[in-house]
Amino acid sequence: MKYAFFLGCVIPTKYPQFEAVARKSLPKVGVELVDVEGFSCCPEPWNFKSYNIMAWLTIAARNLAIAEEAGLDILTLCSGCFATLAEAHHILEDKPELKEEVNKRLSKIGKKYNGTISAKHVVQVLRDDVGVEQIKKSVTRPLENIRVGVHYGCHLLKPSETLRVDDPADPRILETIIKPLGAEVIPYAERLSCCTGACQDEEMIFKFRYNKLQSLEEAQVDCMTLVCPACFEAFDLGQVMLNRKLEKKFNIPTLYYVQLLGLAQGLKGEEVGVTRHKVRSPALLEKLN
Amino acid sequence: MPKIDLDFKKKLTRVEYADFLSYCYQCGACVGDCPSAKLSPAFNPREIVLRVLLGLAEPLLKKDSIIWQCTTCYTCQEVCPQGVRPIEVITALKNIISAQGMLPDGISASVGIIKDTGRVVLVSEAINKRRTEQGLTELKPVPMDELNKIL
Ligand code: SF4
Ligand code: SF4
Repeated sequence: MKYAFFLGCVIPTKYPQFEAVARKSLPKVGVELVDVEGFSCCPEPWNFKSYNIMAWLTIAARNLAIAEEAGLDILTLCSGCFATLAEAHHILEDKPELKEEVNKRLSKIGKKYNGTISAKHVVQVLRDDVGVEQIKKSVTRPLENIRVGVHYGCHLLKPSETLRVDDPADPRILETIIKPLGAEVIPYAERLSCCTGACQDEEMIFKFRYNKLQSLEEAQVDCMTLVCPACFEAFDLGQVMLNRKLEKKFNIPTLYYVQLLGLAQGLKGEEVGVTRHKVRSPALLEKLN
Repeated sequence: MPKIDLDFKKKLTRVEYADFLSYCYQCGACVGDCPSAKLSPAFNPREIVLRVLLGLAEPLLKKDSIIWQCTTCYTCQEVCPQGVRPIEVITALKNIISAQGMLPDGISASVGIIKDTGRVVLVSEAINKRRTEQGLTELKPVPMDELNKIL
């Protein structure tokens, strides 16, 4: 199973530990990551799309065209990159007149997007292409006694008619790929609420995040896990900023799914980079190591 | 009395799927499940769609417009029985605000970094150092000549 590894911007710059652990743990389940030259920002589906939708679509099409030239489907760790690339692919397939216009622009740099590949989020690859059995086989140290709260975020699942990953009202994909790692997935009230990375109102952002963290705390999780760097920033750095404003202090470490995978495959806490996070939990590290 | 302008909706971008709004029958399903509406009663996707339909969107077309409270969570699109996609209407309005040079400063700055470097985060020496420490290769610059030609 070979994929063009689409790094995006935020993971390789701010959180390279996720990229590093992906490069170690994905080959162990049969995924080969190919580095293809020339990718740019996907571009991100919040601000850049608000700026100019045609520019957003054209840059996305250029990225898709690069992977298509290499003859590979795209694998990304980021829900933002996934949403942009998968949605752009869908729009171009659905609206031939736009495809023509975008390809006219791409012809200026000798590129063209025919629509023969797809962009996949790593969790989709793990569930659909790798499969639960293969994940389970790679586990050398099951994460027993670890209570995990999952955070889905929005752009992995919605709009569902375009992305077609899972039912956004009752998704199961994360639970499906966490179970073979041996960890216990803990349900909590705010499981499906948003990280609010795109909302521009600070007061509202704090309220959203407070509700989520409060709900996780009540569920007594050891950590939360998620699959998008924007969500990660919201609950790692975001938690520290929230704590500064509050009397009470939250301490809910946030782990990227691939970090959990790496840990279950025998890597140490430091090796998957949890010690680089802002919110640290000695209790969790002890359980993990 | 503000003047109704039924042609305003034609100004919305044709790239996304913002052109289904005429099917809106104002049921309010999009409001019930909207996380922003829950926290900010003044934010109301049903009303935003109505304003666009009637051409009364002027108050929404500002740098500090209420539409920036939207989290872009896409829940309204999931629940709308008429396939209206209120979120795409909001994105189309943001594109109009942008064309008028009125993007909020933070957004404008982030867009500028992408237009200048092809990435949303500036790649510094410190970043590349942190990458090499973790066994990763340095990040190469994005071919900006290509991006500039297609934009
Ligand atoms: S859910 Fe759809 S039809 Fe109902 S008010 Fe919202 S946009 Fe209109
Ligand atoms: S996308 Fe925006 S308007 Fe739609 S439900 Fe989410 S916050 Fe509300």
